[in-house]
Amino acid sequence: MKISSRQICFIMIAYTAATKLLMYPTLLSMASGNDLLFSALIDFFIGTAVIWSISFLCSRMDKTFFELIKGTLGEVTARIVFGFFAAFFLLSTLLPIFEQVGYIHNIFYDTVPSLGVFLPFFVFTVYAATKKFTNIGRCADICLPIFAVSILFIFITAFSDVQWDNLMPILKTPALDIFRGAANTAYAFVEPCWLLMFMGHFKYKKGDAAKITLSYALGAATVLLFLAMFYGIYGAVAPSRTYAIARTSLFFPAIEVIGRMDLLVLFVLEIVMLFALVLNIQLAVYALVKCTGYENRMFLSFLVNGALLAITIFCNSFYNNINELFYNWMWIMYIVFVVALPVIAWLFKRRTA
Amino acid sequence: MVTLEKNIKSVKSVLSSEDILVFEFESEKGKKFAAIYADGLIDKAQLGELVVKPLRVVQKDDDLNAVKSLLASPEIKDGKNIKEAIKEVLGGNAVLFVDGEKDFAVIGVKKPPMRAVAEPPTQIAVHGPREGFIEDIKINLGLIRKRIKNDKLQVKTIFIGERSDTAVSIVYIDGVCPKNLPEKIEKEILANKIDIVPDSSYIANFLAKKPRSLFKQCGTAEKPDVFCAKVCEGRVGIVVDGSPICLTLPYMIVEDFQSVEDYYITSYRATTLRVLRVAAVLIGLLLPALYISAQLFKIQIIPFQLLLKISSSVAGLALSPSVEMFLTLFVLEVLNEASIRMPKYVGLALSVVGALVLGDTAVKAGIISTPAIIIIAFSAICLYTVPSNVETTTTLRWMYLIIAGSIGPFGMILFTAYLITYLVSEQSYGVPLVAPFAPLIRGDLYDSFVKANMYTLKERPKAFKTKDRLRLKKDEN
Repeated sequence: MKISSRQICFIMIAYTAATKLLMYPTLLSMASGNDLLFSALIDFFIGTAVIWSISFLCSRMDKTFFELIKGTLGEVTARIVFGFFAAFFLLSTLLPIFEQVGYIHNIFYDTVPSLGVFLPFFVFTVYAATKKFTNIGRCADICLPIFAVSILFIFITAFSDVQWDNLMPILKTPALDIFRGAANTAYAFVEPCWLLMFMGHFKYKKGDAAKITLSYALGAATVLLFLAMFYGIYGAVAPSRTYAIARTSLFFPAIEVIGRMDLLVLFVLEIVMLFALVLNIQLAVYALVKCTGYENRMFLSFLVNGALLAITIFCNSFYNNINELFYNWMWIMYIVFVVALPVIAWLFKRRTA
Repeated sequence: MVTLEKNIKSVKSVLSSEDILVFEFESEKGKKFAAIYADGLIDKAQLGELVVKPLRVVQKDDDLNAVKSLLASPEIKDGKNIKEAIKEVLGGNAVLFVDGEKDFAVIGVKKPPMRAVAEPPTQIAVHGPREGFIEDIKINLGLIRKRIKNDKLQVKTIFIGERSDTAVSIVYIDGVCPKNLPEKIEKEILANKIDIVPDSSYIANFLAKKPRSLFKQCGTAEKPDVFCAKVCEGRVGIVVDGSPICLTLPYMIVEDFQSVEDYYITSYRATTLRVLRVAAVLIGLLLPALYISAQLFKIQIIPFQLLLKISSSVAGLALSPSVEMFLTLFVLEVLNEASIRMPKYVGLALSVVGALVLGDTAVKAGIISTPAIIIIAFSAICLYTVPSNVETTTTLRWMYLIIAGSIGPFGMILFTAYLITYLVSEQSYGVPLVAPFAPLIRGDLYDSFVKANMYTLKERPKAFKTKDRLRLKKDEN
């Protein structure tokens, strides 16, 4: 087996949280105000349910998702579906890449660096995307402790500045806005698709479904706590505070005295964020391998990363437009790939049975 | 009847070198003998005492067996052909030809020039044994056998090197080391045809799955106690004639952070030291690069008071921070290289010139700043806390420095992510290089960056997949 259920659990904890620490809190507080936790809860609730359903499905059979579709709808359909998945993973990577560009430019540099500073990222992703699930799992083994230590540091340093009453009164925001907030930021919740891809590639042991679901819930809890702290610190001005993770420890008394040592922690945390981001690209390459049947991962990795590089270079100035596009329309993709397909997987399973 | 002269002529026709000596002598009854050996490789006194002296009484018509029965040497074997005789002579043994006999006797009176067993300079221990391997394979194997008096200890010797014919012994414990691993290692070594094997590092290269890799792929041991402990954990050891450094496989990076002394002191102290080593290596690797990154791209990281100090030191400096750091590191590397190669008495002068004249004057002249010198010096000290990995870490330090000077902190992060991705994919004979961290092997974590109590480490490392798992059992009665 290429990846273990423990490594999937680690991915669910660390990567789920790591992908939601930059713009997600800002966008959510913009949409839902002090009730951002409810919007997040809706998405996490759906995510948890879907993840439970997929992991439960894994307990019933050991087929991969590709084999499952192939067994019911034929190979051509399976390839087409995986082609769509490749496109979905690529799209899911797009906005986080732009977020990363902004984050790195704004937080990691005093000067205003050129886009060139970010471009070596694609050298790394070309290499990383050629790696298989074994490598993905082992990277998660390394990332979880790094993430745990870093996020703990952030929480400890931010805790004393949180004004919890900023989150009160609860449910002040109209319900429609809360739902809209959940829908508009749903594009950040691709975790069930990760699990769909891992399906059949790990040896299911008794209780793994519960472990994976609980791991996802733990990742979700981390994000929820972070959201609460972020809004607790900034209150009404939270929507204007971009790159949330870099803003939460700012007011810790020691940090002013000893320099922004929290940046060192952010540097370390960035490693996890990179791996979480690269996971989508790795899965896009995996989906392309399945779609085309072409095993040369290096070529496909060049292809995928070349496309991302071109988009990054040419659309770098259009972050707001892309963000708006994702914000308004990406939830449809979310419903199709993250909610509908896993449910359909159950139907496929029944038909195969 | 084969004459003695004919045999000597056959050997000398191949071994025409002047250092191959032929000692001809005869018994009181007139039986002729010839001992052929390489000058400087045998113990001549022993040859006289154990061979020449007893043969005085040989009768004229005695055959080889009768001659052999008189020899006092404990190491005698038969030889059949000239090719074999040549090999034995070159191997440091003496070959005894008897007049009228086609066959000959090989007498083990080998005594090649060698140093005494001493403590290796890179693995000094305050607690624990002080013996270290030397350049002689027989002595080294003896040191191992002295510690593992077990019938399952297997030693298989092969020869490699078209010209050097170097002996390489594969040492393992049957039933403890992973199945088929010794055979696999033997096959890998023998697959290489090379002129000479001067050191075990050549064998390490043969055994590396990626010989061009920056990272070590073979464990090393310079002390028999370390070697034996590793073999008992389930590894295969490789002893190479002419090298005081033995190899062990499979290799995990974490081994290099484990010092020999960790197992002889309390687990608390050992854990503290291991954490210290990890921290020191990370600081040594990253500090110079981080300093450049902070100065060039993110000055906010530096605390304000320190920033004031740094700015007063670098004010008026002729060089940019990255060039300044490159220069300082370059000087350090040159000093390091020169101090290793230079004779000791010049070395002292070199330290004075290097540290005082160069360092002090360079700062006063405004070429480099004091923080740069402090950082580079500290980094150098830090990296030497794990001496067996210095080759890799110093190279990585250069890489980090170049990246930090050109791309800044994000480059450093990307490079680290790249290293993680690379390292987690690597394997050493079926064992992941970064085990027990990736993949996570919980039981083995107790002897990684932490060192648990001896009773916690009851089992051999799970990473090796040995059948005989238990290594410590306490009788409760």
